Amino acid sequence: MRHTPLRDQHVALGARMVDFHGWEMPVQYRGILDETRCVRTRGGIFDLCHMGRLEVTGPDRERLVEHVFSANLGKLKHGRAKYGFLLDEGGFPLDDVLVYRDTDLVHIVINATGRDHDCAWVESRRDAAGLDAQVREVSDDQAMIALQGPVSEAVLQPLCDANLGKLRYYAFTNARVRGIPTLIARTGYTGEDGFELFFDPAEAVATWKALLETGADHGLEPIGLGARDLLRLEAGMPLYGQEINTSIDPLEADLGFGVDLAKTATVGIPALAARKAHGLTRHAVSLAAEGGRVPRTDTELFDAAENGERVGRVTSGGVSPTLGRTIARALVHTGYESLGTTLWADVRGKRWPLQVVPHPFYRRGA
Amino acid sequence: MSDRPNDIRYTSSHEWVRYQGGVATIGITDFAVEHLGDLVFVQLPEVGDEVSAGDSVCEVESVKAVGEIYSPVAGEIVEVNAALGDDQGPLASDPFGAGWLFKIKTDDDASSLMDLATYEAQLDAAS
Repeated sequence: MRHTPLRDQHVALGARMVDFHGWEMPVQYRGILDETRCVRTRGGIFDLCHMGRLEVTGPDRERLVEHVFSANLGKLKHGRAKYGFLLDEGGFPLDDVLVYRDTDLVHIVINATGRDHDCAWVESRRDAAGLDAQVREVSDDQAMIALQGPVSEAVLQPLCDANLGKLRYYAFTNARVRGIPTLIARTGYTGEDGFELFFDPAEAVATWKALLETGADHGLEPIGLGARDLLRLEAGMPLYGQEINTSIDPLEADLGFGVDLAKTATVGIPALAARKAHGLTRHAVSLAAEGGRVPRTDTELFDAAENGERVGRVTSGGVSPTLGRTIARALVHTGYESLGTTLWADVRGKRWPLQVVPHPFYRRGA
Repeated sequence: MSDRPNDIRYTSSHEWVRYQGGVATIGITDFAVEHLGDLVFVQLPEVGDEVSAGDSVCEVESVKAVGEIYSPVAGEIVEVNAALGDDQGPLASDPFGAGWLFKIKTDDDASSLMDLATYEAQLDAAS
């Protein structure tokens, strides 16, 4: 199994380590619900070194990214980040990514599972289009640590030379943390304010410890992948492989904000636009219930308590400590997406009712 | 960690059994509870169900996973801990007491199950 430079830190902190797509990662330290609440009310620090990152350089770098990235890079200012997809020719996502547009390069954060294929995919599209750009996977050349939660700015500010008060949501800056050159981005995957830091992996342990130490006064704690999954689900954010994959497209998944259908020269966009013109046959919905069984990924949904039609399936489910309810994202046939619709989750032969509710489940400050 | 009682029997799948006058009370050990993590739901069997040893009769669901509970003995379910339906807390706070799951009227004896020392040796060997 692969491991990050912070593995020994997690073990020393009492984490339960699991195999996450071939990576030995902390699923929890104290408990998933406790860690979820900690990020919502105070703050948490996450080891994300397993995630993949690409750097695109060269004269045609922005043309190449425009060609493979579903959202519109041209509309993005330098120093800003944008969420979107690497689509295949059929308009289905090979990965969901965050693109950071810098002045001399484009930085792309991909999923850990995308490390196997994203770089080669972008290179193959470059070659097919005859563009002059270099694509380099830098996943192992950078540590990635996230700080998320209301105390994030107070924890990071004393350690860095950037004025974080001026750094807007989805903006980034090249600055120093503990004197070490660090890309600081005001991005995240929890629905809270926070930062993602990219820097020399040889400094990973020192920066992790410094952030935990500074954060201790603010109630900051280390957070595992279990709480990370629950936080993103509460905030309505997709997980690649579940909400979207090579058979669920971004429009069905209600992620159209990451797609610019006017970009007809981008791989996959013409196919997506054609499907939209025909009308979508499936829709992503948010479901909630008071207690009961937890509808896990692939749980089938029916339109009645007994018999009835199979109308969809759960893509992610969990128990929300923030809402005190059972929540799930699901993909259902057109006609079952209206708010208030009752759908029945079949858990081992027994059916449990859930209601279609507004999306997302949780929005900060709301 | 809970103090594990010495007067009950244990299974390799982390159930415990307390025999009293032909009735076996069954629960899961502190190790099982700890391993499951934050508990959110317990699916109990029905009173009157006839079960065989090794049957999956109960499910304990945590934030992350579903744990199946196997009956260590054969017999009839005579009582379930219905209070756990509303509050799974006792499973974590008192797994060998208030966190019991169900009771079975049984003729089986405990001879095939582990005593505390054997169970703890198994835990040590696995860790």
